[in-house]
Amino acid sequence: MDYSKVLRNNNKIVSRTGGQRQGPQYTSDLSLRFVLSGNERYDIGRRHLSIYPDSFLILNRGTQYSTDTDLDQQVQSFAINFDQQFLQDFKDCWTFDDDNLLNKGYGNSKAQPEFNETIYPFAGDIKYNVFHLKQHLDNGMQDEMLINEYLHHTLINYFHIYNDEICKKVEKLDFLNQGTRVEILRRLNLAKEYLYSNYNQNISLEDLAEHACLSVNHLLRTFKQAFGLTPHQFLIQLRLKRSLMLLKDTRYPVNEVVGMVGFECPSSFIRLFRTHYKITPLKYRQSA
Amino acid sequence: MKLKYLPVYTADFEGQIEFYTQKLGFRVTGKMTFYEGRESTVIQSDKLNVALLVTNNDSSSDKSNIIINTTDCLKEYHLLRTAGVFFCKSPAYLPAGLAAEFLDPAGNKFMLLEERNYNEQ
Repeated sequence: MDYSKVLRNNNKIVSRTGGQRQGPQYTSDLSLRFVLSGNERYDIGRRHLSIYPDSFLILNRGTQYSTDTDLDQQVQSFAINFDQQFLQDFKDCWTFDDDNLLNKGYGNSKAQPEFNETIYPFAGDIKYNVFHLKQHLDNGMQDEMLINEYLHHTLINYFHIYNDEICKKVEKLDFLNQGTRVEILRRLNLAKEYLYSNYNQNISLEDLAEHACLSVNHLLRTFKQAFGLTPHQFLIQLRLKRSLMLLKDTRYPVNEVVGMVGFECPSSFIRLFRTHYKITPLKYRQSA
Repeated sequence: MKLKYLPVYTADFEGQIEFYTQKLGFRVTGKMTFYEGRESTVIQSDKLNVALLVTNNDSSSDKSNIIINTTDCLKEYHLLRTAGVFFCKSPAYLPAGLAAEFLDPAGNKFMLLEERNYNEQ
């Protein structure tokens, strides 16, 4: 269902169905981009990101981007743009206690928060809340107080994800200097989003390292520190996870799914799938 | 065997019944005498699929803890707040899901719980 809803506080929600190319444009506010079916490509500078239903993208205010989808694909996208004042109020509520808020002691914190503009996992609470919100809007719900309640909780969920995916991973990196840790994680996230976007291609370590602006050795060592997996293990897990979506939501034969998620050999796919999920792909499809 | 009634005790019987019927959507279905000399009122909610046994008791300090299941905690929280229910705990995330808590006039605690499966593949 297609709609664009602007609330009285200038928060904006856009739901779009169908593939289309949208030329270069700028985000006017912090924006969360979800793809509920199919996939959507985002070009941000020299980065080319593909968003699937298991991930979402953050765009900061003022980011230039363009989007594209495959013409033959049914793509359902959903975007939430947070008004700056709403975002600032939310941040103040998290940062200051009630006394400070009542005494307007938060007046000096006017700097807009900048978030690490990358791909994050779309799972858990944020997924539940966004699906509830979308369902209500699809059914024509007009109650802005309730819509803002969902938006408030979506921000809570996003802050938790940000804490897990950025803050905690920065702390895991084995460098003394905080600035170095932050910069290394930023580059590792370039590698991670490259894997997310090209998971079904043949990816060499050299390509990945070049994309992340790190040496191969540096990438291997730091990737494992941050994500607890080698890039290869991370890629295998991602391919297996995406095979679940194809097995559940499409009728492609298992042999075709193997190639679609980037595996070359059906038997090694089935072995890895069974080891990981304790069920064969065919039985998973039958039970899904 | 099956679970039939959940008992709640109150010193303000009228206020308690009014709260349940007007704010939570219960309806009075009858009266029963469980204890000698004390009559209890049975109220039922088809939406919640539960029956409460409300008993007037000035001296009782017994408080009930009742967990109400919902498929959408934020929506129910919003609807109940709009109806005038005071929540002592706003929706917060637990290992079991999203939950909010309110008290009835007698201090019985109701938890609105949306169970969520965080292990979904």
